[in-house]
Amino acid sequence: MRGRQLVSGLNKSIIMLIFVVISFFVLYPLVYVVSASFTPGNGIASVSIVPFGGGFTLDHFKYLFSGTPYGTWFLNTLIIAASTSALTVVVASLGAYVFSRFAFTFKKSMLMSLLILQIFPSFVGMVAIYVILLRIGGFDSLWGLVLVYVAGNIPYNTWLVKNYMDTVSRNLDEAARIDGASHFRVFFQIIVPVARPIITFLSITSFVAPWMDYIFPKMVLRSVDRQTLALGLFSFVTDKKNDFTSFAAGSLLVAIPFVLFFILGQKTMVTSFGGAAVKE
Amino acid sequence: MARELPVDGSAGRRVTAAAALFMGLGHLVYLKEYVKGALFAAIEVVFLALSPSIARKLVDLVTLGAPKPDLPIMQRDNSIFMLIDGILVLALVAIFGVVYVLSVRSARASYREYCRKQGFGTQSDSMGTALGKAFPIAGLAPSFIMIVVFVVVPLLFSICVAFTNYSAPSHIPPNNIVNWVGLDNFKALMGGQASWSVGFARVASWTLVWALLATTTCYFGGLLVAVLLKESRIKIAPFFRVIFILPYAVPSVVSMLVWQFLLNGTFGTVNRTLHALHITDKVIPWLGAPLLAQASCVLINLWAGFGYFMLLAMGTMTAVSEDLFEAARIDGASRAQTVRHITLPLVLYQTLPLIIMSFTFNINNFGAIFFLTGGNPTVADSTTTGAGGTDILVTWIYKLTITLLKYNYASVIAVMIFIVLAPFAIFNFRRTKAYKEGEL
Repeated sequence: MRGRQLVSGLNKSIIMLIFVVISFFVLYPLVYVVSASFTPGNGIASVSIVPFGGGFTLDHFKYLFSGTPYGTWFLNTLIIAASTSALTVVVASLGAYVFSRFAFTFKKSMLMSLLILQIFPSFVGMVAIYVILLRIGGFDSLWGLVLVYVAGNIPYNTWLVKNYMDTVSRNLDEAARIDGASHFRVFFQIIVPVARPIITFLSITSFVAPWMDYIFPKMVLRSVDRQTLALGLFSFVTDKKNDFTSFAAGSLLVAIPFVLFFILGQKTMVTSFGGAAVKE
Repeated sequence: MARELPVDGSAGRRVTAAAALFMGLGHLVYLKEYVKGALFAAIEVVFLALSPSIARKLVDLVTLGAPKPDLPIMQRDNSIFMLIDGILVLALVAIFGVVYVLSVRSARASYREYCRKQGFGTQSDSMGTALGKAFPIAGLAPSFIMIVVFVVVPLLFSICVAFTNYSAPSHIPPNNIVNWVGLDNFKALMGGQASWSVGFARVASWTLVWALLATTTCYFGGLLVAVLLKESRIKIAPFFRVIFILPYAVPSVVSMLVWQFLLNGTFGTVNRTLHALHITDKVIPWLGAPLLAQASCVLINLWAGFGYFMLLAMGTMTAVSEDLFEAARIDGASRAQTVRHITLPLVLYQTLPLIIMSFTFNINNFGAIFFLTGGNPTVADSTTTGAGGTDILVTWIYKLTITLLKYNYASVIAVMIFIVLAPFAIFNFRRTKAYKEGEL
């Protein structure tokens, strides 16, 4: 018995050691981001190899709000993310409802094409999207970018929501139909409340994605007052500038809400990921 | 206006012929469905009115314009606008064709209904069903229009460009026009032009190796950590779990750029730390030598990606019924045995589709390469092709499009990616529940 306890104790300490090593690698770059954002100076060379060893300053945060249009970038990104999320939810869930509850010609081929379209990296059609936006007047505008995002989100997410709705019993909406409710009423008053978990998931994922997307904003947005956070932050470390510390400060401000959200939501995510995997 | 129809189904051919002759005619003349018929007829009238300009756009699509060097630039033929307009018009014609087929089908369905009921239903009844039938169309219309304009047309455009010479320096509109060149681009990348075909073979094989390594390392890394977290019974396991989720939570643009700075050869913190600790006094080119840079890409991707699979595996493990473990324990199985024979097979089985999805995702994982190395370091063929030692196909497409303006080659590569990945999508489609249960 004592031998077994010894073995299990030994196992525990080995596992503990593995965890500590992994944690070190995981935290290594993150600690430097935090440390760099409070370090005086600009380049990475001025960041001490001992975290927080190079002095302390809040200048970079002040610079973000006084010397750069950080607030505008933030607001633009927020507008883009919120509209993308709202439009994606409405369009994708309406489409998913039709696919889940109606039988019509070409249904199978349409579903199949949704799935095939979704694997094509959307920025491959960049030149075409550029010209189309020019032609409909959406170039260099936030709504043009939102349209591109929503269109890119639809194929996969329609599938996702449709699969979820398929698992929901039809008795309820069929009963409502017999009682004379219109399709719109059935959709908004019965289907949407039942499908709330997947709709929440959809709205969160489509809200999060635009925050750090780089390619499409780079292509669509040109004016100085229509830049997004990713473009702005990236400009600190490219464009012949080497302002790593301001980049770190700006990134820290964006990353904090994300990280808090993930830590608070991890329980839900574990179960929803598990649920998604089991359902498929 | 409406003629009396026999109810025995003998007029089926007459109704079909009328519906096929002009959209909506069958509905108007025979079936008393005036709203529907008028709508269909209006669509055809509009289409016929537009047909001269549609024909002109289609001719432009075939010719892609003629060179007119004597005109000012703005008045010259713009091949790319012609190409896009032509494709949009083609999409319009295709949609019109589909609506035409649907209108004939609808007329025949209405006639069958008429025969079944031995006469017309009341008018309000057919209005109600018309509204009900319009709902699927209204519900799908926004998705359909957006997908056609922003996904399908760009896709067709890319495929078309692969067969043109749209590239810098001498075929960029509006100065010059673009021509159809058949399979020339494919030939050039597959052996026709030495440095391009070498570059293509190199980048394509690295893309496959990258996707394979990136997927397997993250998957097994995440699985291992998840199993250890669950089985170790360490009291502070939740604390470690929070730490391990962090890389997944930080936006990848940020973390990749930070790694790029930390791994910088001369002033990066990693090398400076190694120097300060007297482990080495050499400058290690983490991202500067091709092979080492590729290894760094895989390692940093493991850093960024294992958290996702850890969450996934933990989710699947909590979904495994406790009864199974209970039964195994009663039968005298050790913890290692339950892990090996129950947990791992179940988790593997359930997450297999996600491994495939992750593989296709990694083939197109732009951010992990572009923000970490930018595709660098340069290798022998980089001066011509623009592709560096860690460039994968998508980052190369980006460079070809943005900096080199070789749209033709970029499109060829895009088409190839599509051909390689489409079977994976079809595979995923075939194992969905709806497909298996024969609903589709």
